[in-house]
Amino acid sequence: MTLLEMKGITKRFDGVIANDGISLSVNRGEIHALMGENGAGKSTLMNILYGLLKPDAGEILVDGKAMDFTSPLGAIAAGIGMVHQTFRQFPNLTVWENLVFQNEPRQGPFVSADAARDFVRRLGSRHGLEIDPDSLVRDLAVGIRQRLEILKALSREARILILDEPTAVLTPQERDGLFSAMRELAGKGMALILVTHKIPEVIAITDKITVMRDGRVSGTLVTRGTNEAEIIRAMVGRNVPPTVASRVTSDARPMLSVKDLSVRKGAVTVVDDVSFDVRPGEIVGIAGVSGNGQPQLISAVMGLEPATGVVSIDGQDISRLPIARRRSAGISYVPEDRHLTGTAPAASIAENIVFGTHRNAAASSKGFLRKDAIRAQARKLIERFRVKAASEQLPIGSLSGGNMQKVVIAREVEHGSPLIIVEEPTRGVDVGAIEFIHQTLIAERDKGRAILVVSSDLTELLALSDRILVMFEGRINASLTGSDMNEDTVGRWMMGGAENR
Amino acid sequence: MIAGALDTKSRLAAILFSIAAAVVLGGLVVGLTGANPVSVYLEIAKGAVLGRGLDETLARSVPLVGMALAAAIALRAGLVNLGGDGQMLIGGLAAALVALYLPVPGAARAVLALAAAICAGGLYAWLAAILQLNLGIPFLIASLLFSYIARGLTSYLVRYPLRDPATGMPETYRVASGARLPAHIFDLPVSMAMVIMVVVAVVVVVNDRSGVNGFEWRMTGLNARFAQYSGVDLSRQTQRVAFLSGAMAGLVGALLILGQQYRFTDGALLAPGYTWSGLMAAVLAMASPIATIVTSVFFAALQVGGFSMERALGLPAVLTWVLQALIILCLAARPILFRKR
Repeated sequence: MTLLEMKGITKRFDGVIANDGISLSVNRGEIHALMGENGAGKSTLMNILYGLLKPDAGEILVDGKAMDFTSPLGAIAAGIGMVHQTFRQFPNLTVWENLVFQNEPRQGPFVSADAARDFVRRLGSRHGLEIDPDSLVRDLAVGIRQRLEILKALSREARILILDEPTAVLTPQERDGLFSAMRELAGKGMALILVTHKIPEVIAITDKITVMRDGRVSGTLVTRGTNEAEIIRAMVGRNVPPTVASRVTSDARPMLSVKDLSVRKGAVTVVDDVSFDVRPGEIVGIAGVSGNGQPQLISAVMGLEPATGVVSIDGQDISRLPIARRRSAGISYVPEDRHLTGTAPAASIAENIVFGTHRNAAASSKGFLRKDAIRAQARKLIERFRVKAASEQLPIGSLSGGNMQKVVIAREVEHGSPLIIVEEPTRGVDVGAIEFIHQTLIAERDKGRAILVVSSDLTELLALSDRILVMFEGRINASLTGSDMNEDTVGRWMMGGAENR
Repeated sequence: MIAGALDTKSRLAAILFSIAAAVVLGGLVVGLTGANPVSVYLEIAKGAVLGRGLDETLARSVPLVGMALAAAIALRAGLVNLGGDGQMLIGGLAAALVALYLPVPGAARAVLALAAAICAGGLYAWLAAILQLNLGIPFLIASLLFSYIARGLTSYLVRYPLRDPATGMPETYRVASGARLPAHIFDLPVSMAMVIMVVVAVVVVVNDRSGVNGFEWRMTGLNARFAQYSGVDLSRQTQRVAFLSGAMAGLVGALLILGQQYRFTDGALLAPGYTWSGLMAAVLAMASPIATIVTSVFFAALQVGGFSMERALGLPAVLTWVLQALIILCLAARPILFRKR
């Protein structure tokens, strides 16, 4: 029955123990959740299983046979497949070209396109994952691209499939499609490992749960016999109350006002005539499947992208100002990607905190940095935002995702701007930090700040927002409040609204 | 880049490792020629610090530190300046022109010649930055190609309109002694050029460690997107950093003309290869100014020691260039040699 067994897996990095005697066993036909906060050691364990890392101790058994992977090729040969969070695909090639890559059916020296198409169709229908072999990958919806990723693993005869946070990019409807595909694969005797943070989907679909904390297994649970609270306790080692936002609506005059904003990229209009307001004391959420113009909208508001239309802060038109002047006019901004835009990972925590306000009197005088003051301020924020960091002098890139995000949020909240724009507040952030970040945003709202949140995590938007705007193909096609703010309604508008009913 | 991924301690370890590995590899090369590596290294070390060697090492350090800092300033902010040769030539030419033809008293002429060299070298690099910002031609390419233009231009000028017909060489007239930089101050073994370079180096180091500008440049080098997001005007900063990097190279040209060669001779500024040694020193130091000063003095000592070794043992001094290159190669190969799994 047991298809995969990992026993006593131990892995150290420079003395830090990432996996400490981990054991994991997955049966045929089982969907097994691997949960844990960021930095708990899930990725290390999965990278060991996929042959990307070599364990210091422990063994891996597939079908009872001991394996020794030196590279992913060995793992693939043993029937292990991995669906990565970021797709590894050629967007400008077709589905069949992507699928048969490096395993092309030949006719003499040439690739036989017919045989390849046929192969894709047979593979798809065998697993209930139909896909058009001739579509260009770049034209496909995210859900379909993920299906292609799964098919790629299946085409190499995978019997054990690792899915790394597969629902992060999906709409609720696409997610349901993925879940039924997963059940079908499990029904055929495959073993599936679902790496995720999201408790509702673990409860919805898995059979067993392994929870990791600080490099160890902190709980092995049978899904049917457990509940949300027990899982959270195993993950964070304490009880966490669910976030509940009190919903107050103010009718003060708008802090942020966007009118007829459009962004064009060549012939494509990526943001199409968008207008909306955010008032002091409210959190407005922007929902939408990725690729519908959300990041471009925010870039245009921040002045990082040329746009037409009017953006004003507290009645002052800022549409022509460069980003520095917009920020000083009253915008704090937490960008989507903390590694690429939100921080300089190699610089210290203190430097990352002060950068942006380093020309203010508190941080410098006469062109020289006041290093002691900068460090003191960083220590203060580290303590207040409960960032787990031994010193403010450490490179910020050495922190876990959640702690890094806390630093970015601390910095932006500390600016004291009346408007805070937050993209993906908790992407790749552990449960404990999610709660803290949500509480922080709600507290700032209650102090009378206007907050605009863009997130691909619908649960998060529903928990935080007083109002949800849905973006579809560059337009805002719905503004939802009250009882309309539920997963079904928002999800339907995310897919285009009325015509999809 | 390399600099980003390492903290100070592992950076120092990486540098020392690269030097050690290069010494071993270089020793093997020497051994293959039949010579004794130990005596070769001993001669290099003695030649660099004993007797007149120390003076020579210090003298050679001035242009080398200057060119290394020119490269490091740019590298720190994420720009690769390969055009040090051209900026040095244009700076040297500007200094020579002012020192030869400006009708003001001697000392003032020297000061104005230095200022002209700084501006000319800076503007020459700034032009390459403008090409990157407005036409999308990478600064790395444009600055390098500009060096060839500068070479052709200066070569023409000193061969024809500016030539001193008395010497039979393609070179200008000699700078009047009043407009030269003194080789000794108060009879100490310290030249004016040395003093100027020390002051400039201190300014660069202080700005990097504590200056608001230095902080912005360093953060830009670590993550330009983050810098832009934090309100840095990247276009203006690129122009400024390019100007300063070029100005530093221009200053080196002037210090060589006014303090050592006293006239602009075709090819003389470039022959010792200061730009490339300096670039290697900056790369080895991962663009940290203090470390750059240390590595470039080390390279200067290595080169001086190499000449002395050549005189003593008859082995070519080019060996020290091989060593320099090996050090950089080992540094670049380090992440692959020590890859963790």
